[in-house]
Amino acid sequence: MKKKILIANRGEIALRIIRAVQELGHIAVAIYETPDKDALHIRTADEAIWLGDGPRCDYLNIDKVIGVAKKVGADAIHPGYGFLAENPDFAKACEHNGIIFIGPPSEVIQSLGDKVTARRIMKEAGIPMVPGTENLSAGDAGLREAIDFADKYGYPVMLKATAGGGGRGIRRVENEKQMRVELPMARAEAKSAFNNDAVYLEKVVINPKHVEVQIIADKEGNTVHLGSRDCSIQRRNQKLVEIAPSLIQDKGLVDLICATAVTAAKASHYVNAGTVEFLVDRDWNFYFMEINTRVQVEHTVTEMVTGIDIVRTQIKVALGKKLSFCQEDVHIRGYAVEMRINAEDPQNNFMPEGGKTVSVYRSPGGYGVRLDGFVYQGFTIPKVYDSLLVKMTVFGFSWNETVDRLLRCLNNFVITGPKTTIPYYVNLVQDPDFKKGDFDTSFIETHSHLINYDDQVSEGNKLAHLIAEIHYKGENPYAV
Amino acid sequence: MERIVQGMGITEVLKIMRKAEGYYITNTARDMSQSDYKNRILLHTDLLAAPSREEAGYFSLEITGGASVHVDILRKQVDPFLKLELLREKMPKTMFQTLCRGINLFGYRPYPQNVIRFVVKEFAKYVDVWRVFDFLNHVPNMQAVFEEVQAAGKILEPCICFSTGPEHTNEFYVKKVREILDVTGDEILLCIKNHGGLGSPKRIGDLVDAILQKYPEMIIHYHGHNTDGNDIGRVVAAAMAGAKIVDASDHAFTGYYGPPPILSVIHTLTEYGLKAVDINEAAIMETSEVLQPERKYYEYFESQIKGFDPTVQIHKLPGGAMGSSLEQAAKGGFLDKMPEILHKELPKVQVELGNYWSVTPGSQILWTTAVSNVQGGERYGNCSGDLKNLLLGKYGPFPFYQPPDWIYEKAFGPDWKQVLAREGGMEAIEDIDLEKERKTLADKLGYAPTEQQLVTYLQHPNDAVNFFRFEEKFGKVYVLPPSILFRRGGFRLGETLAFKDHNGKEHIIELGPTQESEDGSETNVYLNIDHHQRHFVFENAVAAAGEAKAAKLSKKEIEDLAKAGDVRAPFTANVCEISVQEGQEVKAGEKLAVLEAMKMQTPVNSEVDGVVGKIVAKVGDAMQPGDELVKVTPAA
Repeated sequence: MKKKILIANRGEIALRIIRAVQELGHIAVAIYETPDKDALHIRTADEAIWLGDGPRCDYLNIDKVIGVAKKVGADAIHPGYGFLAENPDFAKACEHNGIIFIGPPSEVIQSLGDKVTARRIMKEAGIPMVPGTENLSAGDAGLREAIDFADKYGYPVMLKATAGGGGRGIRRVENEKQMRVELPMARAEAKSAFNNDAVYLEKVVINPKHVEVQIIADKEGNTVHLGSRDCSIQRRNQKLVEIAPSLIQDKGLVDLICATAVTAAKASHYVNAGTVEFLVDRDWNFYFMEINTRVQVEHTVTEMVTGIDIVRTQIKVALGKKLSFCQEDVHIRGYAVEMRINAEDPQNNFMPEGGKTVSVYRSPGGYGVRLDGFVYQGFTIPKVYDSLLVKMTVFGFSWNETVDRLLRCLNNFVITGPKTTIPYYVNLVQDPDFKKGDFDTSFIETHSHLINYDDQVSEGNKLAHLIAEIHYKGENPYAV
Repeated sequence: MERIVQGMGITEVLKIMRKAEGYYITNTARDMSQSDYKNRILLHTDLLAAPSREEAGYFSLEITGGASVHVDILRKQVDPFLKLELLREKMPKTMFQTLCRGINLFGYRPYPQNVIRFVVKEFAKYVDVWRVFDFLNHVPNMQAVFEEVQAAGKILEPCICFSTGPEHTNEFYVKKVREILDVTGDEILLCIKNHGGLGSPKRIGDLVDAILQKYPEMIIHYHGHNTDGNDIGRVVAAAMAGAKIVDASDHAFTGYYGPPPILSVIHTLTEYGLKAVDINEAAIMETSEVLQPERKYYEYFESQIKGFDPTVQIHKLPGGAMGSSLEQAAKGGFLDKMPEILHKELPKVQVELGNYWSVTPGSQILWTTAVSNVQGGERYGNCSGDLKNLLLGKYGPFPFYQPPDWIYEKAFGPDWKQVLAREGGMEAIEDIDLEKERKTLADKLGYAPTEQQLVTYLQHPNDAVNFFRFEEKFGKVYVLPPSILFRRGGFRLGETLAFKDHNGKEHIIELGPTQESEDGSETNVYLNIDHHQRHFVFENAVAAAGEAKAAKLSKKEIEDLAKAGDVRAPFTANVCEISVQEGQEVKAGEKLAVLEAMKMQTPVNSEVDGVVGKIVAKVGDAMQPGDELVKVTPAA
């Protein structure tokens, strides 16, 4: 039966979901704020409803979104990523209003969104966590505990205020001498900042790899993983390049991580698609980090290597269908890499280039190329949203083939108007470490030279500029 | 007999020439470009001609100097040094020749000694033959250049500038030769520089003969112009009288005011029994065959008036200034006044100002004075700064006589004698701090300049910086042919332009459509560059609606406003200097700005004591008479 599905998002992910909805024969309803009035998702959806002038506030307004969904008679809402996707109140509001939320139940979002609760669930399930202490005892006993812990697991360690958050109340400690100084100070600081002097220790995982596992579960508890992804190439915690599967040579380790992810999902009674994130240290220990309760930006790479349409599966599962495949049906074939082509100037600290008009947009094509974008020639990039223009996902049978194809595709990608991350990626995919698959979360920092691509306009372009001026003025103004 | 080639020193050259049976030819391509094409002949064209010119066996190719160094950066956007380097690659044997204005180098007014020496040293790395002149034939004005050329081991060719009139006797010129030799020694070539193409063949033959009578060993290089259509006659007379080198150029490009065609010179002299040494006639013909298809692209830069001008014998304008003078007349809308200016006023001014040699920068002073005398309504009513400097003897002493007192009075007022006594005579121009200039240039460019960039900057500071920035924006445009650079009326839709850039990389540019933005404020020009689509955006000129041009002010009104502190441009000119800053106190007579017209600079002085208010104009602005320059609030 035809269902009406509202997509509570914008940009490329809205288009991605609309495509899946339409492929399933359902009706896609888009919503938009005024700055998105020229956006492609409005034109592609079967219906489009204006939410308000925004920016960003209307996409985040639960009452408005639910109101629109009820008004158009939506059966379900797909939240995409960002905005309301991981807001348990939104999922709850859907449930209360008889609208299917395409994602996990609100309680799951709630419990996995809370760090303490999530850690507790995982610990009970025996999932490996970054080693840490309970709250340290008061006085010298606490100092003893701290030093013993650090001796056991090695420096550096992180002193964290139990009541802290958002990066506050955290101190990195490099040695015992420093511990003796820092611990009392951390306590005093925690006391004054949070009125609670409880602190604990956590091992610092130095330059880990970021490995994550795509999971999907139906309402009957069938939980399947779709293999691993490596998302180590990040800039200030923002992922730029994602790879499926992980390039870790030890297949046994990768299998173990994937199996652990399924255990974690089951432990949290997970339903629908989600991602279990791990850190892998240099000794190949892995630690649970968190579960993202949404479809990820980088889900495309998993789709490419498994052949499974994750968004389609999400919708089917949410509408009550059983998973149509089991773990044994999932096979990983080849390698896929997603590069986020953002309207940013890498040479200017990745400053967003919003507000500029895409004057030329020519995308690569051919075998093994997938594009999830939403811009077109003549489109002015709104200043008020994120800078992602298009995700270029490239598939190859071997890693080398994939890297070759990446370079070819990047060289064939022409976007003018805003500056983009393309020239930076051109350098990146030619880097020897990248080609070897040897990278961790420090990659961008330790490969800062990749920023030195030649942004000089080519000589042909410069000369063409003069030719254009001679053409426009009807004579060479610099010669007369 | 050995061919004279680049790298030979003066001693060797003199030895070969003295033994040679016949005469040598200098191809004055630069002078042809300057006289008949406003200096616009591009390096691209010279490179096409280079292989056959190399084979032609010239004594030298005059390819730089004169106004060309300035026009290279100003209108052709080519580095004058790079030009020589690239030509040298294709012409390893032929000597390169320049024309240097002595103390005025390749510009229009005297430079400091250290700048002169630095510039000559750098250019001497590329230039083999140095033709050096001074428009007053004042030998000390050329001395620094002489010394640097000789120190660099290059061939020095001092000039005696030639003109006609009762003072211009053989005796005078032979004495001038002595003055030169006293400074240079005997190892020189001597140029008779007939920049106007003046005098009859007989007159030139007599002069050559007179010099050779006195200095039989002298190698004389005759330089002429074909303005009256009779230069071949003078060339023949000079050669018959014993001149060993003569000037001419490629017939594919010969026009009216530059050199005569080489082949005509050769064929004529053959009949007289004189042979052109080392010359390969087939290569000369081939050069013109290569050049001929290019000429049409330069049509726009040819003279506004076509045809030989025998009246040059009356007005005496040098060939190199004919094109630009006529262009100014055409643009200024006084082409109809040319008979009066050229045939009546200019000869009068010549005589009044001392019958010196009408060549840069003296010719510009004569021309602008004559134009101003005719256009301004009152003779010498508005003396340019350069004319005043001439009258004060700042360029050097008058060679024959001083202009009459009444002109001094017009220029400097009733107290002119005191002014002359106080300010008259040449003054030593202080050396400038080259390192400071280097730093200033580095600051402007954002990188350390090369020696050559500094040399270019020292000669033409504003234009050099503009050129360097132009190259950053548009690249090395000398690779583009005149069919592109000088295209008029735009390109055809779909037209394909193919060329190699300076790295040898091929480019193909296909013209796409031109589209106005919706609000009409911009125009997009679409192109395919090497098969990649691109477009460039140009801001459309704002329609002048509601911005009606200020009504034209009379000369009297401009003067009255100036007395009230509202300083306007008194004539059509470009602003080349703003000498004050807002809020600065000024005295009456103090310089506020400097205007430049026809290369001549004129200071604009405050008429009142006061404080500088708003500065309306900026350097580079083109001013019409009455346009606002600077406001001065008069002191209470």
